Formats: sequence, structure tokens, C-alpha cells
Amino acid sequence: MTPATLGSATVWVLAAAAVFGVGLYALILARHLLRQLLAVKVMGSAVFLLLVVAAGPIDGALDGIPMALVLTGIVVAVSAVGFALALLVRLADVTGSISLEDDGGGDDGP
Amino acid sequence: MNLVLDVALATALTVLAWRSLAGPDLFRGIVMYVVFGMVMAVAWARLGSADLAMAEAAIGAGVTGALVMVAYWRLRRIAPVEPADPSPRRSRLAATVAVLSAGVVAAIGLAAVQAIGPGGIAGRALVEALPATGLGNPITGVLVIFRNLDTVLEVAVLLAAYLAVRALLGDGGESLAQPPTQRGTLVAALVSVVAPMTVLVAVYLWRAGSQWPGGAFQAGAVLAACGVLLFLTGRLRPAVEAGPVVRAALVLGTAAFGVLGVAMLFVGQPLLAIPGSWAVYLIEAAMMVSIGVTLALLFAGAAGVGGGRR
Repeated sequence: MTPATLGSATVWVLAAAAVFGVGLYALILARHLLRQLLAVKVMGSAVFLLLVVAAGPIDGALDGIPMALVLTGIVVAVSAVGFALALLVRLADVTGSISLEDDGGGDDGP
Repeated sequence: MNLVLDVALATALTVLAWRSLAGPDLFRGIVMYVVFGMVMAVAWARLGSADLAMAEAAIGAGVTGALVMVAYWRLRRIAPVEPADPSPRRSRLAATVAVLSAGVVAAIGLAAVQAIGPGGIAGRALVEALPATGLGNPITGVLVIFRNLDTVLEVAVLLAAYLAVRALLGDGGESLAQPPTQRGTLVAALVSVVAPMTVLVAVYLWRAGSQWPGGAFQAGAVLAACGVLLFLTGRLRPAVEAGPVVRAALVLGTAAFGVLGVAMLFVGQPLLAIPGSWAVYLIEAAMMVSIGVTLALLFAGAAGVGGGRR
């Protein structure tokens, strides 16, 4: 059941790398804060995947310690999302903007 | 054949990540993100971890998706002129940076896969130490016994997030999950069947967690889903003040873990020692209630609950 072979571990590592890259690309380019938050979440998922896959299996089952760490990470991530969304809603309430940039326009980002 | 399945799932993850983050329609992106979370859950199952699959489906996709969706509608109400994503920045560096970072992640991962080989030393120690605890689920063993300081602090983080959200949003919570104006005839009947079943599933996950896949986090997330359902159908109303029951439920997980852990000092045990499997059940039950209530209130953006109209 478990992918014990090096071949499938390589596939999952490459998937984590690709998903991380996609998330970072979107994080740099997106202006809407909600989308930037989703990009950070996607990058986090990639890190979780890497953490579990890189530990490798023990006796045919996955290593329990990184799995417990990731389970903790999933709950901490949802707490962080709840807080970030509250910040975002408050920002929009106060400034009327959903982006961290000034609405001057014309700048091409960093 | 196995490799084909892995490649298919890995490709699906990458494509869904792209679809959720690219394109002008933000709402579509959020829906795609939830789908990404579900495929992630399938990927965990494929990798052999039912615990992570359940947690990802319930928390990573379900609760997170509900939180983001609610924030999206709230933002639309505040700033209706910008419902869609403003045009993305133009940056020539972005693609380069992203590709280089992905390369670094791949290099780290491939090096780790080959360097550690089959199982780390700590993982081996876990397999050897687990039978003495009487638990069958290694993840519950790590969370509640071997590394339980992490878990105490994690429940505390959840509580801190609730308090931070309250501090930020103040009394504005009532504008969020307003009761539906029109109610279908089937909704009431459906809720009265689904809500008790959800609680039953949560209790089962809690009970199973010490031996089989399951545990406080998955059970708490299922409870939170029940709370979200009750908020959406108007059975529960967001309240500005948290009543004594809600306050007790919010701190129950941290308190039970902390009090029991400190009490062990007085009987000559180390801090946070776990005296037996009854304590595992007790702590997991307390955490389940706290996680469920906190996540449901985070969704409603409310301090507490009041009874809704029946």
C-alpha cells in the first residue's frame, strides 16, 4: 500500500516542489490579499507533503513523528488563517482596500 | 501501476494549485482551493496516512474553505466595487524566483529521501516505545504522550487565535452569519438528522483515535462542521458575548491538559506525564470540544452563541 520505493518518493518530492513553486509565483504576483493568503496555504501544503515523504517509511508504514507534526501543523495553519482573515476584513473595513498597495497605479511591483 | 497513480495524483495537485491561484475570478479560485484540499486528502490516503487524510479533508479543505468563503462574502459587502482580483502585478523576476525556489525544495527533498533512507531514528524509537503505552495509533501516541508539550501549545494557539479575532472584530460579528431569510421545508428535517449523526461521527473518531485512525483533531473538526451547519441554517445565532458554557468549552482543552500535566508534578512524575489510557481519553475529549467550539466560532466570527429560531 505504502509507496516504499524510491521512485514514488521522488514523484511526491517533485510534486511538493512544483506546488511550492506555483504558490510562491502566485504570492509574488497576486494583489488581492485573499489570494495571497491562499498562495501561502498552498505553499504550506507543499511543505507538509515534503516533511512526510522525506522521512521515509518504517517497516512499510509511514514514520509517525512527521505525521503528528503535520497534523499539528494543519490545526495551527487553520488558526493562522482565521486570524489572517480577521486582519484582512478589518483592513478592508478601515481602508476600503483589499490590497496592501497604494492605489497609485503604474508601479510594476518589486 | 502504482507509480502511474502517484504521478496522476501529483499532477492533479499541481494543476489544482495553479487553477486556484491563477485567473481573474477569485471565487472560482476559492472553490478550486477546496478541491485542491480534497485531492491533498486523497494523496495522504495514497501515502498511507488515514489520519492526515481525515484531518486534511475536514480542516484543510472543509473548515479553511468555509472560513475563506465567509471572508470573501464579507469583503464583497464591505468593498463591492472590487469583487474580482485586481490585475496581477507584472514582474519578470517572479517566474525565476519561483522556479529557483521549487528547485531548492526538490533538492532538499531528494537529498533527504536518499540520506535518511528507511525511517529516521526517532521514528524507529516511536515504533519500539508505542506498545508499552497501550495505544495502537502512533500519531495519538506522539501527540498526547511523547511530544505532548507541542499539543498543549497547539491548543493554546487555537485559543489565542480566537482571542485575537475577537480583539480585531469586536462587536462586528453579528453582521456575518445572518440567519437565512427563506428556509426550505426540507432544511429543518435534514438538519435534525444530519446534526446528531455528525456528533455521533465525532464521538466515534474520538473513541477510535487511540487505536485506529482518528483522534481529537479530526473529531473536533467534525464537531466544528456541525456548528457551521447550525450557524448556516439559523439554529445557532452568533452572540456578542460568550456565555459561561462557551467560555468553559473554549479553554477546556488547554485547561484539562495543563491541570493534569501540572498535577503529575505533585505525585512525583515529570511535568505532563500521562498516567494511563484513561487520561488520554479525557484529554482528547477535552481537546475535541475546545477545537470544535473554537473553529465554529471562528467561522461565525462571533464571541459566543445564542439559540436560534426553530
